[in-house]
Amino acid sequence: MTRGEGTELSALRRWRLVGALVLWSVTSLVVFVAAWQAVIAIFHPAPYVIPTPHDTYFAVTHNWSSIWPLAVGTFRETLYGFAAGAVLGFFLAVAMYKVRIFRSLSYPFIIASQAIPIIAIAPILVLVIGFNIYPTIIIVAWIVFFPVTINTLDGFLNLDADLLNLTRVLGARRWRRFWFVELPGTVTPLFSGLKIGAAYAVTGAIIGEQADSSGSSLFQYQFAANNSSRTDLVYGLTIVMMAIGLLWFVLIVGLDHLATPWKHRPTSRRWRDRGRTTSTPSLRNE
Amino acid sequence: MGVSTSTVLAINGVRKTFANNVALDETSLELTAGSFTSLVGPSGCGKSTLFNVISGLLRPDTGSIALGDRDITNSTGHVGYMLQKDLLVPWRTVLGNITLAAALTRKVTAQDRREAEQNARRYGLGEFLHHYPGALSGGMRQRVALMRTLATNQSLLLLDEPFGALDSQTRLDMQQWLLQIWADLKKTVIFVTHDVDEAIFLSDRVIVMSPRPGRVVADIVVDLPRPRTLETLTDPAFVDFKREVLRLLHRSSS
Ligand SMILES: Nc1ncnc2c1ncn2[C@@H]1O[C@H](COP(=O)(O)OP(=O)(O)OP(=O)(O)O)[C@@H](O)[C@H]1O
Ligand SMILES: [Mg+2]
Repeated sequence: MTRGEGTELSALRRWRLVGALVLWSVTSLVVFVAAWQAVIAIFHPAPYVIPTPHDTYFAVTHNWSSIWPLAVGTFRETLYGFAAGAVLGFFLAVAMYKVRIFRSLSYPFIIASQAIPIIAIAPILVLVIGFNIYPTIIIVAWIVFFPVTINTLDGFLNLDADLLNLTRVLGARRWRRFWFVELPGTVTPLFSGLKIGAAYAVTGAIIGEQADSSGSSLFQYQFAANNSSRTDLVYGLTIVMMAIGLLWFVLIVGLDHLATPWKHRPTSRRWRDRGRTTSTPSLRNE
Repeated sequence: MGVSTSTVLAINGVRKTFANNVALDETSLELTAGSFTSLVGPSGCGKSTLFNVISGLLRPDTGSIALGDRDITNSTGHVGYMLQKDLLVPWRTVLGNITLAAALTRKVTAQDRREAEQNARRYGLGEFLHHYPGALSGGMRQRVALMRTLATNQSLLLLDEPFGALDSQTRLDMQQWLLQIWADLKKTVIFVTHDVDEAIFLSDRVIVMSPRPGRVVADIVVDLPRPRTLETLTDPAFVDFKREVLRLLHRSSS
């Protein structure tokens, strides 16, 4: 009678899913490198235009001791900026949902905030705030908050009207309704917003690093490599930046998975942890 | 208007329009405590609208609703109402859904959980307590939705086509199940359905409504003996009631 499977079965299915994910990632990587190699084989570009995957790989590994701390630095910038942007974006959405006047007033400003060319104002931010990590964090947060706010607000505004009616019938209190119905009913759009934000966070961090020309950062390192015509290193560093973006995306997808167990499990996890029976339930005949 | 002691719900001249569109024409009805009343009528005649008014979700243009000697017009939280959709929240387990009303009003206590668990076990949900609604069949979902409505401990239950989406076999099981609960818990029930057999099988009284704008065209007392079983469905008296209700429904819609 149940559509979900027993717990053992779904554990097996989970591993199969992880396996499929790994397989597809590896396949994508192979296809990417093969296409790259093919372009070189067909067009014979000069190595300072397109280096080989092989050269690029070794440019990164030979300089790994320099790259690693810089990559960690960039990751840290995205971490702080992303966290700030996500929290800000979420609370903005809540305020806009709950306070109609605030929604009407703030919407134009929120749209306008994204029309500002960040590359142009980044140096000004650095001038005002100083040559430190904060301008970069602000830029990342600035980019990340937007999709989070827009998606989450859409989620709130599209909650099932009948479900909200039901909460009234059940005599719900305002904040309890928010916590137990409105918020969980919005996790999916919230995570869509976070995924988009995650994909953009690295771009924001690199813009910040570009503006802070005195700092030692992944971008400044790449800039130096470019100036000394180390195209292979430039490519390699680009891939490192991409990898940070991908890492963020995977982290958010994983978090989404953990936050929404009902989408991929027939029963609650707490149940199994309490060591109850895990036999596949069936409808009792009455 | 004199309200006799056994009247639990009095609907007095309720009428509802939506933008010049009469959804429910003036309707009055009185229900006695512990009775089971069905409401039948063509689609769009205002059955759900009437429920929304009784539950306080909608403001009637005219008329009032009294529960016992209290006027409950326009106020929510006085009746158990199971809406036309089951509206289980997918992120809470069966137990979590049953205790939703408690969670929405105050802290859920161990007592709430224990009661929910007992009732769920007693009424056939024992093996699904920790399942998410996504893993339940349609019949099980309806059971959970009804248990959630019962958990509010209201004496009056409004059930809007709870079995409408179920296959006939499951539906028959569910009808027996509902009658058992009704007998155990001594609730007053108003039940909306499109299925005339279902209405007669379950009810003490069947109210027939006219097409839009709906109003009461007949009020039939079904005095078939209880407990009702599968045999009831082929009882000549049952068939007579069915003929009568079908005739009224058909007449009012032509
Ligand atoms: N919120 C609303 N706004 C405007 N019109 C509405 C609204 N709710 C219901 N109506 C209209 O009121 C009429 C009665 O609707 P209602 O849902 O009460 O019918 P019903 O008897 O429950 O029908 P069904 O058996 O199909 O569920 C319909 O014509 C419907 O279109
Ligand atoms: Mg209806």
